[in-house]
Amino acid sequence: MEKSRISVRPFKLSDAEDFLTWASDDQVTQYLRWNTIYTIEEALKYIQEVAIPHPWRRSICLDDRSIGYISIKPESGSDRHRAHVGYAISSEYWGQGIVTVALKIAISSAFKAFPFLVRLEALVEEENKGSQRVLEKVGFLKEGFLRKYGYNKGKIRDMIIYSFLVTDNIWLPEDSDQDS
Amino acid sequence: MAEEPSKLSEGFQESSEVITVRPTELSDVDDLMVWLTDDQVSRYCIWDTYASREQALDYIKNIAIPHPWSKVICIDNRAIGAISVTPNSGNSKCRAELGYVLGKYYWGKGIMTRAVKTVASAIFDEWPYLERLEATVDVNNKASQRVLEKSGFQREGVLRKYKILKGYSRDVVMFSFLSTDRSPS
Repeated sequence: MEKSRISVRPFKLSDAEDFLTWASDDQVTQYLRWNTIYTIEEALKYIQEVAIPHPWRRSICLDDRSIGYISIKPESGSDRHRAHVGYAISSEYWGQGIVTVALKIAISSAFKAFPFLVRLEALVEEENKGSQRVLEKVGFLKEGFLRKYGYNKGKIRDMIIYSFLVTDNIWLPEDSDQDS
Repeated sequence: MAEEPSKLSEGFQESSEVITVRPTELSDVDDLMVWLTDDQVSRYCIWDTYASREQALDYIKNIAIPHPWSKVICIDNRAIGAISVTPNSGNSKCRAELGYVLGKYYWGKGIMTRAVKTVASAIFDEWPYLERLEATVDVNNKASQRVLEKSGFQREGVLRKYKILKGYSRDVVMFSFLSTDRSPS
């Protein structure tokens, strides 16, 4: 995968059709906190009301077309030094190292956008091995296994917690395996 | 908290120290002042040492009393410490955070462990949707970590720079106690 084809940029309403392609796939949304989106109207509504106003939600693009998203959301009040990372891409592009590239871009961007940010964290389900590999390839540290941490889509979930600090080093391509 | 080997065996009460847990009252202010004003007590707490009776009354009125679940730990009905469980909402409603503090004079006698064990068991009966009680403890606060371990909490990992304490980002140890961790009665 040619890295120059991958970009991370704000969502536009004109992304709606591409957005619908991956957001309507249950495989893509199964571990996300938001529900599968089925119609172009819902897609437009989501982009307008959620993606665009969000403090930092970006489209992962291939040749400037939306194939997924990354979002970084700082906590509020006395915990604002900490931000939650979420992401997903179209199942068509799984296993090509795209999210790894996009996440590295996003991390640098977010630490500049939020100067008080010290810690990025990601919660991943045990069975979501693909997502765990992405985080490890970027340089996130696995910190622990949080039992019955929260509900998602009606089921209580154990979550693995990963973190990346502003002082951590992003793994260079030479540090990680060839893109899977 | 300083640690000494406990003279108590688990399950027995010291004859002279019956511990009760009850809601905070304004009349507790002078007892609360003893530990609210103590730097050694507030050292690992997110609140700064209190300096006046007015501030202590303010704490009782505006923090302790309105809190969804905040109580004082008492011996002879005198408030020697406090313990609280802070709930979450929505998808996180299954999870609540435990916090606690004890006056220095009472450290090292197993009192906090007894209070935590009592609360950790009872809270799941009060909140039937609760599945997980968690607590984060500063990596340097070994005595508090021991309280949770002795109370049956499971140590899950070190979360780096998780909390801000006195203006510094600090590593904490995450502990949890599940509703299913309770021993059958």
